[in-house]
Amino acid sequence: MELNMQEALRYLGAQSPDAALLTGLTALAEELQSRITPRFTWALTDTAELALPGQLAQRMLADCPRSAVLVCTLGAEFDRWMRQLSARDMARAVMLDALGSVYVEAGCDAAENAIRARFPGKHLTDRFSPGYGDLPLDVQPRLLESAGAGRIGVAVTDTLMMTPQKSVSAIVGIADAPQPARVRGCAHCALNKTCPYRKAGATCHV
Amino acid sequence: MFDTKKLTFLDGAMGTMLQRAGLQPGELPELVALNKPDMLTAIHRQYIEAGSDIVYANTFGANRRKLQKLGVSVEEVVMASIAAAKKACEDSSARIAPGARVALDVGPLGELLEPLGTLPFEAAVDMFAEIVRAGVKAGADCIVIETMTDLQEARAALIAAKENSDLPVLVTMSFDESGRTFTGCTAASMAATLTGLGADAIGVNCSLGPKQLLPILREICANTHLPVIAKPNAGLPDPVDGHYDLSPADFAEAMAEAVAAGVSVIGGCCGTNPDYIRALHERVKDMTPGQREIHRTSMVCTATKAVTIDGVRVIGERINPTGKKRFQQALLAGDMDYIVDMAIQQEDAGADILDVNVGYPGVEEAAMLPLVVRKLQEATNLPLMLDSTNPDALEAGLRVYCGKAAVNSVNGDEKVLARILPIVKKYGAAVVGLTLDETGLPRTADERIAIAKRILAAAESHGITRENLWIDCLTLTVSAQQDQARATLDAVRRVTEELHLPTVLGVSNISFGLPNRPLMARTFLTQAMAAGLTLPIINPNLTDMMDAIAAHRVLSGEDAGCRVYVDRFANAAAPAAAPAAPSAMTLEEAIVRGLKGDASRLAREAIASSTGLELVENVLIPALDKVGADYEAGRAFLPQLLSAAQAAQAVFAVIQESMGEGDAVRKGKVIIATVKGDIHDIGKNIVKTVMSNYGYQIIDLGRDVPPETIVEATLREDVCLVGLSALMTTTLPAMEETVRQLNKLPHPPAMMLGGAVVTPDYAEHLGCHYAKDAKASVEIARAILS
Repeated sequence: MELNMQEALRYLGAQSPDAALLTGLTALAEELQSRITPRFTWALTDTAELALPGQLAQRMLADCPRSAVLVCTLGAEFDRWMRQLSARDMARAVMLDALGSVYVEAGCDAAENAIRARFPGKHLTDRFSPGYGDLPLDVQPRLLESAGAGRIGVAVTDTLMMTPQKSVSAIVGIADAPQPARVRGCAHCALNKTCPYRKAGATCHV
Repeated sequence: MFDTKKLTFLDGAMGTMLQRAGLQPGELPELVALNKPDMLTAIHRQYIEAGSDIVYANTFGANRRKLQKLGVSVEEVVMASIAAAKKACEDSSARIAPGARVALDVGPLGELLEPLGTLPFEAAVDMFAEIVRAGVKAGADCIVIETMTDLQEARAALIAAKENSDLPVLVTMSFDESGRTFTGCTAASMAATLTGLGADAIGVNCSLGPKQLLPILREICANTHLPVIAKPNAGLPDPVDGHYDLSPADFAEAMAEAVAAGVSVIGGCCGTNPDYIRALHERVKDMTPGQREIHRTSMVCTATKAVTIDGVRVIGERINPTGKKRFQQALLAGDMDYIVDMAIQQEDAGADILDVNVGYPGVEEAAMLPLVVRKLQEATNLPLMLDSTNPDALEAGLRVYCGKAAVNSVNGDEKVLARILPIVKKYGAAVVGLTLDETGLPRTADERIAIAKRILAAAESHGITRENLWIDCLTLTVSAQQDQARATLDAVRRVTEELHLPTVLGVSNISFGLPNRPLMARTFLTQAMAAGLTLPIINPNLTDMMDAIAAHRVLSGEDAGCRVYVDRFANAAAPAAAPAAPSAMTLEEAIVRGLKGDASRLAREAIASSTGLELVENVLIPALDKVGADYEAGRAFLPQLLSAAQAAQAVFAVIQESMGEGDAVRKGKVIIATVKGDIHDIGKNIVKTVMSNYGYQIIDLGRDVPPETIVEATLREDVCLVGLSALMTTTLPAMEETVRQLNKLPHPPAMMLGGAVVTPDYAEHLGCHYAKDAKASVEIARAILS
């Protein structure tokens, strides 16, 4: 699985890193990939049955009678490693945290590819998740249930946090016609007022 | 009810059967017993007719957390579900086996326990206990705890079952292809822990098909004497239609292999139905479960790591306040970071097991030991040896310990044995037996052996098997009682050869009062290992001692091909050469570049010619400010800021050492916490690292901290600055509540808020400071605490 190192550096706020940081990050990325493999699971559902509230979901899934719900996680072993590293070396811990974020995204990409492969001739919408736009976090328990997230050890707390920490749930609509980009870009982002990248005159390129 | 030599047939899936019987999507399976009990009875009957000896009542999700949302009680659901299953047992006319039984089925609570999630251990025990009591009342014949992925949750359920019933208890966990559960628990750790806690049969269910589970089943078979259970899925599911890929015949064929490997309690999980159970029954009913080869080697473990005592294993002795002023202070102040750091150093130095002693005047040991155990288990994978004579402290510590621990210690005194052994047995620990008794210290090897035999007899009478007893033959100071060294070594040899028990020795006692103590200690260690010593209790940070053990492992043959030995010494030569090159680096540079070792060395040099305070003010803070300014200007990044902070920490340690004990260079106290319900603490940890290296004393209350705890700590510690972190919109209310409660204090502290969802406007609205990042937190603290 390819790790997006540029993205990891961006999470660290390090757009122009020095050689030492890059070397350290690369070594840690290798260790991460050798120690942990992202797990994912997904399931096909009727879009109507998901009954997702809000305009984003409505717009995204307008042409999609069926949707796939996917969940990907780095598992409890990542959390354990993170705790242990935080007690030893916070500098490396923040690097691991950033790498974990891009790794779980890479896992989601793999899940999306698996979904795509099962629906030849169909078109997938952009992947989107609770917390994007007006899709509320409180759909999280339903999504996990529907994807069978328990099968890969992902649960959600009463405060709607997923455990293990590096876990992502997402929805992909399955349509007959090509789907335009509807999620990517600041206009759709709930954080567009407070985003540190925008303040600095940049974007997160998502 | 269960046997290693005779097959017991369980049932198959319930969920798919309910759907097949007409349960609508959206209808909750937990409520079927109340609304449509006949549907359940019919399903159970089909399984009994297919050959099941035991059917699982439909109580998998019948816990308070789930049911209170539905407005029904645990007892109602459990009573109705078990009644429905019992009815099927009574009226199954065509059953194959007479007298089918009903199991109370206990599944995961659906929320992770600490530290993976936020549910406290005792809260989980309490929720499980409620289900167990209802099951007993309903007349269940046995209890099944299944589909567990977290060993700590399985422990909570098993402890609840044992404390609230006398019924047989089966425990199965779910593993994946890696041979571990989703939370990283190994099959060996699972087997040792659950066997120790008194399960009646253990094994696996769900997650994979029988073929994939076979290696895991073999591993479990080798690590317990209990009957082993296999209840796999019908292969793997298709995400599109949910269909599982094994036919009943294929499933039965694969299960026959498991039976041949020694599995004796069998059934199916997701995707199986009565056809699978019938095929399974047909295929294996005449088989006798295969002969198992069970390891009898002593071991202790955590969920993720098992340490087998089949060679010399080092017990680290550093977590102990005796004679250590700094440690005593840390204990009295509840400074967990210091204690955790002791554990990390020893783990990195090569310890296999850590001794944990927190007994000190003024410390409530029964409260401190479980707290320290929890903290240590978050930071290290190493098994722990709980070192106390206080039975309440031992029980409290063993209860929260995830895995199989050791207890240090009992001795030949009947009263001590009667007090401690039942606790050791209940929690399935290993225990150290000191060869002394109420009459005092033995003089000869014979006396030591006699006491060891007495302790062994007592342990066995409490149901503790001999591999769980380790004997300490007592190291006495050779300068005071010279003949005793010989007696100790003789006793070690005889315990090893005659009693075949592992032996423990606190090695460093030998050399008190003598010059060149390291030489004496190492020589004694070497002789003791030659006599058979397996568990030396030493300071693993002493390279000399660890070197001797590395050499011993070569001579004993354990270090095959001398690989570890060669690595250790071939690599050790390289860094030794490095300091020879004189470096022109200044202390300030070392801090800026985040070079911990250099910073520490240069600080040691500098402290000779200036005071600690001067170093802090003239070197350390300016260096950190330089990195801070670079960070703000985008020339340095977060990892560099933190590396510099950690180098500064090393300098601080040197300064503190030189000034003696105390916090003379500390600037002021700050409480930091991640608010209730929030488990993401990396931001808070970054702030802690950076601030503490600017000289602030950080009281870190951790994550998921209730407002009341923060208020209480603010009052107790009398702090004037509190930092709160929240990552998600769902935990902002907890942040607001904390701010509200703190503001009600007679002298409210200043507060700074940070975290992904906190904005300047939000902080201002609550009358708090906005901490954009760790650097900003330092500036706020400077303004408030100066």
